[in-house]
Amino acid sequence: MSQPVLGAPLDRVEGPGKVTGRIAYTADNDIPGMVHAVVVESTIANGRIAAIDESAARSAPGVIAIMTPRNAPRVDARKVDANDSLLFLLQGDAVEFDRQPVAVAIAETFEQATYAARLVRVRYDVRPPTTALASGERFLPDQIFGKPAQHKRGMPEDAFARAAVTLKQTYRTPTEHHNPMETHATIAQWTGDRLTIYDATQWVFGVQHRLAATFGIDPKAIRVVAPFVGGAFGCKGQTWSHVPLAAMAARLAGRPVKLVVTRPQMFGWVGHRPQTEQVVGLGAARDGTLAAVTHDVLSETSMSDEFVEPSVVFSRDLYAVPNYAMSDTLSRLNISKPTYQRGPGESTGSFAMESAMDELSYALGIDPLELRLRNYSANDPDSGKPYSSKRLRECYAAAAAQFGWSARNPKVRSTSRGRMLVGSGMATASRATHRSPCTVRMRMNADGNVLVQCGTIEQGTGTPTVYPQLAAEILEIPPERVRFEFGNTDLPAAPIAAGSQTSGSVGSAVVVAARRMRELLVSHDGKPPADGFEVELEDSPPPEEAEHATQAFGAHFAEVEVDPDLGTVRVTRFVGAFDGGRILNAKTARSQMLGGIVWGISMALFEDTRYDARSGRIMNANLSEYLVPTNADIPDVEVILIAGDDPFANPAGAKGIGEVGICGSAAAVANAVYHATGIRIRDLPITPDKLIR
Amino acid sequence: MKPAPFDYYCPRSLDEALALLAQYGDEAKVLAGGQSLVPAMNMRLARPGVIVDVNRLPEAAVIERCDGSLRVGMLARQADLERMPVALDAVPLLAQALPHVGHWQTRNRGTVCGSLAHADPSAELPLAIVVLDGAIEARSSARGTRWIAAGQFFESYFQTALQNDEIVVGASFPARREGWGYAFEEFAGRHGDFAIVAVACAVALEPNGVASEVRLGLGGVADKPHLAPLTAYCGRVLSQRDLPEIANAAVADIEPPSDLRGSARYRRALATNLAQRALTRALASARTACDGLAQ
Repeated sequence: MSQPVLGAPLDRVEGPGKVTGRIAYTADNDIPGMVHAVVVESTIANGRIAAIDESAARSAPGVIAIMTPRNAPRVDARKVDANDSLLFLLQGDAVEFDRQPVAVAIAETFEQATYAARLVRVRYDVRPPTTALASGERFLPDQIFGKPAQHKRGMPEDAFARAAVTLKQTYRTPTEHHNPMETHATIAQWTGDRLTIYDATQWVFGVQHRLAATFGIDPKAIRVVAPFVGGAFGCKGQTWSHVPLAAMAARLAGRPVKLVVTRPQMFGWVGHRPQTEQVVGLGAARDGTLAAVTHDVLSETSMSDEFVEPSVVFSRDLYAVPNYAMSDTLSRLNISKPTYQRGPGESTGSFAMESAMDELSYALGIDPLELRLRNYSANDPDSGKPYSSKRLRECYAAAAAQFGWSARNPKVRSTSRGRMLVGSGMATASRATHRSPCTVRMRMNADGNVLVQCGTIEQGTGTPTVYPQLAAEILEIPPERVRFEFGNTDLPAAPIAAGSQTSGSVGSAVVVAARRMRELLVSHDGKPPADGFEVELEDSPPPEEAEHATQAFGAHFAEVEVDPDLGTVRVTRFVGAFDGGRILNAKTARSQMLGGIVWGISMALFEDTRYDARSGRIMNANLSEYLVPTNADIPDVEVILIAGDDPFANPAGAKGIGEVGICGSAAAVANAVYHATGIRIRDLPITPDKLIR
Repeated sequence: MKPAPFDYYCPRSLDEALALLAQYGDEAKVLAGGQSLVPAMNMRLARPGVIVDVNRLPEAAVIERCDGSLRVGMLARQADLERMPVALDAVPLLAQALPHVGHWQTRNRGTVCGSLAHADPSAELPLAIVVLDGAIEARSSARGTRWIAAGQFFESYFQTALQNDEIVVGASFPARREGWGYAFEEFAGRHGDFAIVAVACAVALEPNGVASEVRLGLGGVADKPHLAPLTAYCGRVLSQRDLPEIANAAVADIEPPSDLRGSARYRRALATNLAQRALTRALASARTACDGLAQ
């Protein structure tokens, strides 16, 4: 082969189908006899349903049933484990948050169901809601992903007290909603006691097990299909209330039911990034060497669940700091349950920590990049383990050179372009990557064509392109001869497509299976027998893999122009360089980084879910007032991939790259705004009014 | 996003349209470009029982210059005006304001008169016509035609001096006069969004450099276009040094609202900065106009 297959920037195999509309997402499917369900949401954030009058809705055209707490099938809404959520399945009359499901209208057409949903009259006993972070009941959660809510290394208090220079500041990040292009959607069909579900999900097996618990049936009686997922970013990781509601509606109607979540409902019960208030303390010597770091985080959770935004992970695992302390406190509010959103923890934590590092650099008169290099850690500072690989130095150097960082005037408010103030800023990116057990089945037919089967999903990341590429490299065949089948529970079990673990998990299982198939091929003189070969195996991380810390790294450099009269910020240039281990496909990898950077810019300047303090209702539950960037807001973004093998991470040699791009990118923009204006904004987003004093 | 049920009428003559309005009163809404009304209906912020679609009226899309004014007929689209150099040359403030009105696509449908009748307090065209001291022509079947001065037309949020049975059949924008300069400034979160603050300014200079008129209006700071009381600065020679003071005077008595798009404090700061920009440009263009006269 003339060109290496692995890492080649192959086009996505499903790309033409997606851009021409030939590919069916969940809501594009129709089942004979299918009817439509529309959720009625609460219009209060705290209280009880006093009465529901569904008479007008029931007699509206095409209506089959109105499902309310009175007639909803009895199911088990409780969570199945600590990371799961209580669901809102019309089993009681309590209302805990704005837009909680309180009824479901079922009708022949979507329009009729929508109309009927509007006719359902709900009367409430209203209690005052609590949506301000400062006002909620505070508590330390039992655990954060298996670790304690408070943690220390060294003697942080002493070191902080003795440090030549100290800095302590509070940083805030707002509630942010995921808003993937595809809203959530579910189709449910009962055949006797067997249930078929089409769902927009990051984990078909998760949906299967959650529904089995909800309905008290065998998981094997439930088949879950996720044809293609139109973006998820974490909000499709959990099974939310509308999934069982669709199945309950199907039972009530006696017909298959399609339930599509509307855009305003995307601000309802399907998760969001929680708001945080983070106090970061840095103690350093005059030369910038960090002696102590403290990071105390207050984040919101709902009335019934504990979700911790693990912002502390970023400060804990990055710089060479001997003395460190962290704490995670939760505040209970009348909100829906927060959840993972791209780069959970590191995205918010990096804004606080990398802003604080920037503040320290100006306080000491040390170049921000130089300050990071002086605190470079060869090992994971918390566990002391060596990294499986770390090319962060190379990332800093490549991005700084491409950006022209050394030509910058370090003085704040020193540079202008016409009447615009110009500034530049940088930040480090870092994100832990994981690997979970994964099973794949690989078949080579007599003609040498290969089918790889795995129950992972495709959410826009390149699954059906990248894994055939990986198998083809090992089998030494062209990638077009390998087909990847994914997206349903009939296939071998895969872990959730989240937490930057799919390359490490599915990729490693594909590598191990392909290597075994190659051995089989060699033992058959390179020719498969008439009935072909089949390999099925479960790949799990071996114990020795835990001897290394596995993290993806990167460096962000941003340039902004600020209008001093209006306070508007425009990002004019952005360069990011990333260490993601072995790159499986340069094009899909670059897209992941681009997407992360764009979202980081969006976090810095736009995204902000706002609650009305009086009613507890979300004021901007739409894409007109919840701002996301358009092409006009995004400059030319340059992505540099510092590629290289990572023999200790996993057999694929790839560190997860889905999230590292958003980690640190908001801080780089905020730091550039400070350099341009001399104004330090510690609460996101940086809206124009904050820059006009 | 579907509107509540309504009855739809598509009259073929103005008399027929006026008869419908007389019959249905406040139940009826006139549909022209529909760029504000239809979204409001889809979001059920508006639930008119009767829609009177005036798009098929034969006479109504005229744009013409007469007696020192530009007359814009009820169905003239914003884009019609934007694509007519003679009209833009006649009313330079409109030329500057129109690109801020919604988007290119919405301007293809949206009408000038519809925007005036809608009376959004942050909209550009109401602000422009107030600063230019133009007038609106209203007609009803019972009382015929009357002209309403722009300063009296806008009453509050989406409220005008129009009666239920009246329709805006045209608007008159005073054309450019000797020695005048004009400027329009606006800031919105995204281009095409409603203005957080908009400023329209018209300054007239005598040949000797004395300012005979200083008109400055603010949008987005009150329940209707706000015309700043700046007569104190007339009859003086104005220099760049005077402009911060004038800008401060222009915003002195505003009480801007706070909402999702911006706090009152931010709106006030924006209004001051934009007023200063607008005054600077209007004065410069008035000077150029005077120099042109002198030669």
